[in-house]
Amino acid sequence: MLETIKTLRDMPKEEYYVPGHRTCAGCGPALVYRLVAKAAGPNTIFVGPTGCMYVANTSYGCGPWAVPWIHAQITNGGGVASGIEAAYKAMMRKGKYTGERPHAIVMAGDGGSTDIGLQALSGMIYRGHDVLYICYDNESYANTGIQTSPTTPWGAVTTFTPSGPAVPEGKRLWPKDNAQMIAHGHPELKYLATASPAFPVDLFNKVRKGLNAEGPAYLHIQAPCPKGWQFPSNKTIEMAKLALDTGMFQLYELEDGKYKMSYMPKERKPVDEFLKLQGRFKHLKPEHIEKIQNFVDQKVKAIEIEIAALS
Amino acid sequence: MGKKRLISGVVATAEAVRLADVDVITSFPIRPYTGIMSELARMVADGELDAEFIHADGEHAQLSIVYGASAAGARTFTGSSGVGVTYAMEVYSPISGARLPVHMAIADRTLDPPGDFGSEHTEAESCRDQCWIQGWAATPQEALDLTLLYYRIGEDPRVLLPQYACQDGYFVSHIAGEVEIPDEGQVKEFLPPYKNKHSLNISDPMIIGAQIEPEMGPPLQYQRYIAIQEARKVIAEAYKEFGEIFGRKYSPFVEEYMTDDAEVVIFIQGAHSVTARNVALKLRNHGEKVGVVQLRTLRPFPTEIVRDVLSRFKAVGAVDNSVNYGIAGDGGVLLSEARTALYGLGDKTKTVGFVGGLGGEVITMEEFYKMYAKLKEIAKTGKVERDSYWLPYEL
Repeated sequence: MLETIKTLRDMPKEEYYVPGHRTCAGCGPALVYRLVAKAAGPNTIFVGPTGCMYVANTSYGCGPWAVPWIHAQITNGGGVASGIEAAYKAMMRKGKYTGERPHAIVMAGDGGSTDIGLQALSGMIYRGHDVLYICYDNESYANTGIQTSPTTPWGAVTTFTPSGPAVPEGKRLWPKDNAQMIAHGHPELKYLATASPAFPVDLFNKVRKGLNAEGPAYLHIQAPCPKGWQFPSNKTIEMAKLALDTGMFQLYELEDGKYKMSYMPKERKPVDEFLKLQGRFKHLKPEHIEKIQNFVDQKVKAIEIEIAALS
Repeated sequence: MGKKRLISGVVATAEAVRLADVDVITSFPIRPYTGIMSELARMVADGELDAEFIHADGEHAQLSIVYGASAAGARTFTGSSGVGVTYAMEVYSPISGARLPVHMAIADRTLDPPGDFGSEHTEAESCRDQCWIQGWAATPQEALDLTLLYYRIGEDPRVLLPQYACQDGYFVSHIAGEVEIPDEGQVKEFLPPYKNKHSLNISDPMIIGAQIEPEMGPPLQYQRYIAIQEARKVIAEAYKEFGEIFGRKYSPFVEEYMTDDAEVVIFIQGAHSVTARNVALKLRNHGEKVGVVQLRTLRPFPTEIVRDVLSRFKAVGAVDNSVNYGIAGDGGVLLSEARTALYGLGDKTKTVGFVGGLGGEVITMEEFYKMYAKLKEIAKTGKVERDSYWLPYEL
């Protein structure tokens, strides 16, 4: 069992995500990865589907890993992790491996989790593999140069959803809610949570709870991206916090069939305070911002109603 | 000595997987290979085989699961047919690139269209250049033997490459033949436990499949290029030892039948070679100098052996049970490979292609008689009128 902690001071000093990566300054996913590796500890195997954390992070000869790491295709993180978990189960039962069973963690981007790799994720959870699957959600296909993914917000500009006279708002689709999709309809799921680098202790503890759960667990972590969202690289944590304070993203966990909010702003700020600081939204007109506000109001209400009903 | 049973290719393959004491098996249903998985599922349920049996969410997932499991140190098994084989295409190169000796059975089936259940080598041949060991079994006994041979070859530390053990759908997979099931003791002697020092082990952390700079790619590819070439030596060794332990001696690369003084031969792989042999025997009884050269290993292609063997004849008819639209010579892979192997020897040996048995149709004895007649004519006149004949429409 991995212990949960109360304050930042309780975090272990040891790092398993060490210097060697080449991500952008202020990279949200890299900050998240460091916390995840710290929480998981040395008895861990990471599966890294193609995405920023592979391309910019796991370069031949200078990868940042102090634990075993294997590449997966952007399509198949869930499948590769299923195989690793099954291999250790079989080898231990048959006496071919006698050590401690390692944890298996998939660290996949939003494309690899909610789009092209969704089937592999769903299959892994459906089959009950004891794996922690983490989506680091930077809200676009970022390493290919910022293209829209299913979690890119409505109205955001990407290189595949530019704003122009015929399409003034940019992206015209509402984002997919992967945590809710996974939570509903996977009876083998043992633990699910959303997390944010704005609350590192909460994130750390959720990783450990996911690993302690005997069976599949899913964490959806919002990871602001200075390049894709177009904000200064020293504002990553501020963006993460603002996303929570405006209701653009919400923190909760689902444990033993019960939902619990992890963070509720005392007074929710208008979404404009989040949008106006990011270049990807700078083309939006007041009527567009109003549309996003309505969407967020409804989403917040839906989650809160659900949590009230299930807690 | 093992015991003899009358079983189909799929059951024979499952028997080999049981004997190999595989750790992780992953399935997805598609005919005709499905029978292997049904039999393995039964063995697991009955306690005859201790393995994790994972029902994958598709063929792409099957290959992803064995990639992870093999990297973690487990002996793995998977398989597919037809469009299932091509659906998993993305994962074949990462598996051979990580030098993981994953084993995959393919029981052939046409691609779509026509979408019938019939056997064709098209799907398996379309994966032939992914640095996997690949060859065809022509009988249920060969299906069992090929499975054991390929585990041994692929897991050899000098090779460490995955393998496609192919068998013709229905003709091999679903028609019973006499199969000698080896003793577990014999298999233990032939097939040592799988050990790959490059595995996901917390006591020796390593990165598998790092992102590389463009200039770092060629050296890695060159290592695979060398590995599959060097595998030829290990293949020959493994077949030799197989014969010594199990008493069944195969020629590892090409099997010759009635070729001693032959003037013309059929060059073929897989189940239809059995029909070709029957026709050759009948023609021999009428004094015709004909034979069969059966290709046993398609990858790595035994270039020199094929060159030495085929160059002894006046005319060679390469029979392809696959569609390769627009290929050089408008025949198939075997025609192209045979011609490449013979290149540079002059025009002494004439080559012609026959595309047959498509959609899972039998290549009939009558068709083989026609092919031999055409080869005889070519040998006599020294003239090749066209590169290939698509059966039955063009011959």
